[in-house]
Amino acid sequence: MTTLSLRHDGPGTATVPGPRRRVTGLVLALVALLAVLVLSVMIGSTTIAPSVVWDALFHPSADIDQFAIRDYRLPRTIVGLVVGAALGVAGALIQALTRNPLADPGILGLHAGASFAVTVAVGLLGVRDIAGYMWFAFAGALIVTLMVLALGATRQGQSPTVMVLAGVCVGAVLRGAGSALELTNPDAFDAMRSWNAGSIVGRPLDLVWPILPFLAVALILAVAVAGPLNAMAMGDDLAVAQGVRLARTRVLAIIALTLLVGGATAIAGPIGFAGLMVPHVARWIVGPHQRWIFAYSVVLAPILLLASDILGRIIMHPSEIPVGIVTAFVGAPVLIALVRRKKASGL
Amino acid sequence: MHKTPLARRGTALVAALLSTTLVLTACGSDGADTGGTAAGETRTVTGGNGTIQVPADPKRVATIGNTTLPFIDMGGKPVGVTEVGASELGLIPAEQKATFEAATNLGSSGDQVDMEKLAGLKPDLILAQLPGSEFEQIKKQLESIAPTVFWGLDVEWKALADGVSAAGNVTAGLTEQKAKFKDKIAKIQQTYGQIIGATKFVNVDRWESSDPGTFSIADFGCVEIAQGDLGIDFPRAAAGADPLGWTALPFEQIAGLSKYDVITYPVDAAGRPKAPFAPVVATNTWKALPAVNSGRALGVFCPGNNSYGPVLQYLDSLDTALATLPAKE
Repeated sequence: MTTLSLRHDGPGTATVPGPRRRVTGLVLALVALLAVLVLSVMIGSTTIAPSVVWDALFHPSADIDQFAIRDYRLPRTIVGLVVGAALGVAGALIQALTRNPLADPGILGLHAGASFAVTVAVGLLGVRDIAGYMWFAFAGALIVTLMVLALGATRQGQSPTVMVLAGVCVGAVLRGAGSALELTNPDAFDAMRSWNAGSIVGRPLDLVWPILPFLAVALILAVAVAGPLNAMAMGDDLAVAQGVRLARTRVLAIIALTLLVGGATAIAGPIGFAGLMVPHVARWIVGPHQRWIFAYSVVLAPILLLASDILGRIIMHPSEIPVGIVTAFVGAPVLIALVRRKKASGL
Repeated sequence: MHKTPLARRGTALVAALLSTTLVLTACGSDGADTGGTAAGETRTVTGGNGTIQVPADPKRVATIGNTTLPFIDMGGKPVGVTEVGASELGLIPAEQKATFEAATNLGSSGDQVDMEKLAGLKPDLILAQLPGSEFEQIKKQLESIAPTVFWGLDVEWKALADGVSAAGNVTAGLTEQKAKFKDKIAKIQQTYGQIIGATKFVNVDRWESSDPGTFSIADFGCVEIAQGDLGIDFPRAAAGADPLGWTALPFEQIAGLSKYDVITYPVDAAGRPKAPFAPVVATNTWKALPAVNSGRALGVFCPGNNSYGPVLQYLDSLDTALATLPAKE
C-alpha cells in the first residue's frame, strides 16, 4: 500500500503532500480508473466469458454475446466515465466558488432546472425518449444559471452567498412546480420516477457526442479559473490584491459549472454525491490546490460512479439499481467518515 | 389591518365550520336525489366490500380505476370516470373513446378522485377497482355519495367483467361476448394444440414507465389468457413471488431469450411494435435471436385484458400470429 507523506505548507494551512507524491497519487488513481473501466466492461447482469469480451472488442463478429459488450457495456462505461468526470470537476468548482465544502453541484438549482425542463417536455410536450430529454435538461440547467446569475448580482458584483441562496430558492420553486406537474400527469410521473433516479443504463453514445464539446469547453474554463480560485480561497481582498478579477472569475466558473452539470444531467439525470464527495477526497490528498483538485476529481469521480454502477448491476440480479441510488449509498458513509476525520478537508 | 393570533384562529375556525357545513349539505342532498334509489327497485350484488344494494337499473354510473374500460366495453355510458392512460385509450374503438371523453373527469387515478365533483354528478352507482389500501381511504366518502361496488386488483378479469356487468346492468352484450370467447378458445386449441404442447414460449414487453435500456418478461396482461385459457407454456412467477413482469431486465439480457422457441411481443393495431417496445426490436441482440431469425418472434396485439371485447381482439391477433409460425424442423 502506498501512503502519502505530508508536509506543512506554512502556518494556517493544511498539511499537503509534495508535487512528486501528488503525481504518484494521480498515476495510481489513473491505474485504478483503468481497472474499473475494464471491470465495467467485464461485469454485467449476464455472465459473459472474458474471451468473448476480448473478441467483442478486438475481433468483432455477429455473436449475440458480443453485442452485449459492444452495444451496452462499452457505451455504458464511456457514459460513466464522461458523466463522472464532469460531476467531479463540477463539485470541485462549486466548492471552491462558494468556499463551502458542503456545496454540491445541485446547490445552484441546476439539477432542479434540468428536472423541471424534462418534466415539462414529458408532461406538456409529449417527449418520450431519453434523447429527447437531453436538450431540455441542458436548456433547463442553462436557464436556471442565468436566473441565478441575475438574482445573485449585487452592487459589488456576483456574491457567492446570494447566488447560492438564489439557487436554493429557484431550485425549490422548480421542484415544487415539477412535482405539481408530475402529480397531475401520470405519464410525466412515470418518466420522471426513472429519470430522477440518475442512471447510465440505456444511454447510447449518440447522446454523449453532442455534449462532449460543451464539456471540453467547461474543462478548459475550469483550468483557466483554477489559479484565481486558489487566490479567492484566502478571501476576496487578498485575491483582488493579487490581481484577480472576482466577477469575471465567478462568471466563468459558473459557466463551466453549468456546462458540466447540465451536460452530465442531460445524459444521466441528476446524480448526487459524486460531485460532493470526490472533491473532498481530492482535497484531502492534494491539499487546497485547485488544479490538482480538478485533476484528481476528473479521475476519482468516474471511479466512484463506475464502481457504484458495477455494484448496482449485481446486487439485485437479474434486475439492476440505478447508479444514482448506489452512489448515494456508497458515498454517504464514506463522506461521513471523511468529515469525521480530525483534519477534514477544509477549503 | 393586522389581526391578533386569537382573531386569526377565530377566522380559521369559522371558515372551517362553514366548509364542513357546505360539504355535509352537499353530501346529504345526494342520497335523496339519486335516480335509481328514487325508482325504488334495487338488486343485491356482491363485491370486495361485501353485499351491496344497488339500483336495479342504474342511470348515472361513475367508474373509478380499472372498471371504466370494461364498463364502456359492455355498452355502459358512465357519467364520471377516472383517467385512463393515453396508450390504453389509443387502443379502444373510436365510439368507446368518445363515450369515455363525454364523461366527467374525476381525477388522475382511484386515489385522486375529486369527491366534490363526484358528488356533484349525483351518481346512483359507483364501480371501483383499485388497490384495497387506496379504496379503504376513500370508502366512506364514496359510500356516502352512492352505493359503491369495489373489486380488488386480485380479482380475475372474467369475475370483474361479470361483476361490472351485473352491478351496472349492462348484461346484454356479455352473453354474446362470452360465447364468442368460448368458440375462439376452442378453435385455437384445436388448430394449434400440437404446437402449443411442444413449444416453449416467452412473452416480453416494455411500457412507457419502463426505465431506459430495460425490458421485462411479462407474465401479466393478455398473456395470462394464453396461459390460463389456452394452456400455452409461458414463464410465470413462482407461487407467492412477485410477477416476473415487475422485474426490469437490462437489454444485455435480451440474449437470454435464445433459450425459448417462440417469443411474443406487443404490437399496435397495425402490427408495428408498440412504441415503448420499439427500442427492443431495434437492438442488434434482438435481431440476432434465433427465434427472430426463424420467424418465431410473434407480434401480438393486446388492447386490454379486463373485458371480453379487447380479449377477443387479442385472441384474434394471437390466432393470426400462430398461423404464421413455421413448422418446426
